[in-house]
Amino acid sequence: MAEKTFAIALTIPDNEAFTARETLRRIGIAVEDVRRSDIWTFTVDDANAAGLRSTIETIETIFNPNKHQLEERAGARPQRGEVWIEPREETRMSSVGGRTIAGVHAIRRRTAWRLVDADGNDVPVTELDRAVETFLCNPAFQKAIR
Amino acid sequence: MARVAVPIFPGTNSEDETLRALVAVGLEAELVHWSRGARALRAFDAFVLPGGFAYEDRVRAGAVAAHDELTDAVIEAAQAGKFVVGICNGAQILVEAGLVPGTSGVRRPTAAFTPNSSGRFLCMHVYVRLNIDPARLPVVGALSPGAVIPMWLSHGEGRLQAAPDELARLESGGYIAFTYCDANGAGVPAPNGSALNCAALTNAEGNVIAIMPHPERDAWRFMQSESDGTASPSADAQEILRPSGGIAFFEAFARALNARPVPAR
Repeated sequence: MAEKTFAIALTIPDNEAFTARETLRRIGIAVEDVRRSDIWTFTVDDANAAGLRSTIETIETIFNPNKHQLEERAGARPQRGEVWIEPREETRMSSVGGRTIAGVHAIRRRTAWRLVDADGNDVPVTELDRAVETFLCNPAFQKAIR
Repeated sequence: MARVAVPIFPGTNSEDETLRALVAVGLEAELVHWSRGARALRAFDAFVLPGGFAYEDRVRAGAVAAHDELTDAVIEAAQAGKFVVGICNGAQILVEAGLVPGTSGVRRPTAAFTPNSSGRFLCMHVYVRLNIDPARLPVVGALSPGAVIPMWLSHGEGRLQAAPDELARLESGGYIAFTYCDANGAGVPAPNGSALNCAALTNAEGNVIAIMPHPERDAWRFMQSESDGTASPSADAQEILRPSGGIAFFEAFARALNARPVPAR
């Protein structure tokens, strides 16, 4: 059994990220750009792991080649500067958009956020923490992974 | 006469029926478009945040609107003791704004209305029962103890979730304002899987209520036509235009509001 993680992000303007940026600025966080990705982690049979990426590329409910980019991640951990938001409840799905995938036993979805300052750098960790605590995560049912 | 604002965010969609219900119970009510800014809200005596999908539910249902300038004015009003009602998405906004249950401060939510346990959007006729002493809930304090009110449930995210210790505090502190029940008031499992069978939350003072089902969608008989068969579309026009059960929620709100002294403007 293998675990494979993919990030799917829009290549067209991301209205949700734009709205998040405006709200973060209103909170007082100096952010120039907000980048958002859907993080999908699949628990898959070894025999099906190699072909998983090409299968995902055919599931148009989560990936449309005309407006998304698909990136395979090295592991199910956030990259530097990222925060992942996930439900506190274990919510593993067995299908995506009503479609089951051969050899996939469990699917987990999270949202990754990256906040970038005017110089193109990740905002300081203290500011990312503030964004999480005040807006990006509702601790009543979500948790942040850094 | 007390004046009630119905704030509209981008994506709000239940403002007209909410306004009609408020006017029907004799209140002076007005839609306030977000572009008018927070200052426009400060002249009102009470607020009813209607349902919909404010800011398209971006980030989380209610999260963006909770930080909107309009909501600054609603928070300020709630803290001053004015009455605030949130229905469906309006309820989600009040929870995200930390006004209900309000146990951890403004914009520090300790609860959430989260995706239904079925994972599906639900649209169904329901009954809710007043779960606390009316005196604990001044915003609709004119209701009878244990009042049962019909409403339409219409949401994808109405399941109360909070940490176990917070749920215990909400239950023991009388924050669970309404619970799901049948037409006779007997408890039934929450159709959305809501913790504590919760249909509505209030704050410590009882001047703010966040209710997930829609009382305004059961305010006239024709709105019940599919639920109990007593007012079919072919029934007498005067009959189907008569108020139905959900209007009781607004009548109680109006009585409570009118009983308060109207501040000088």
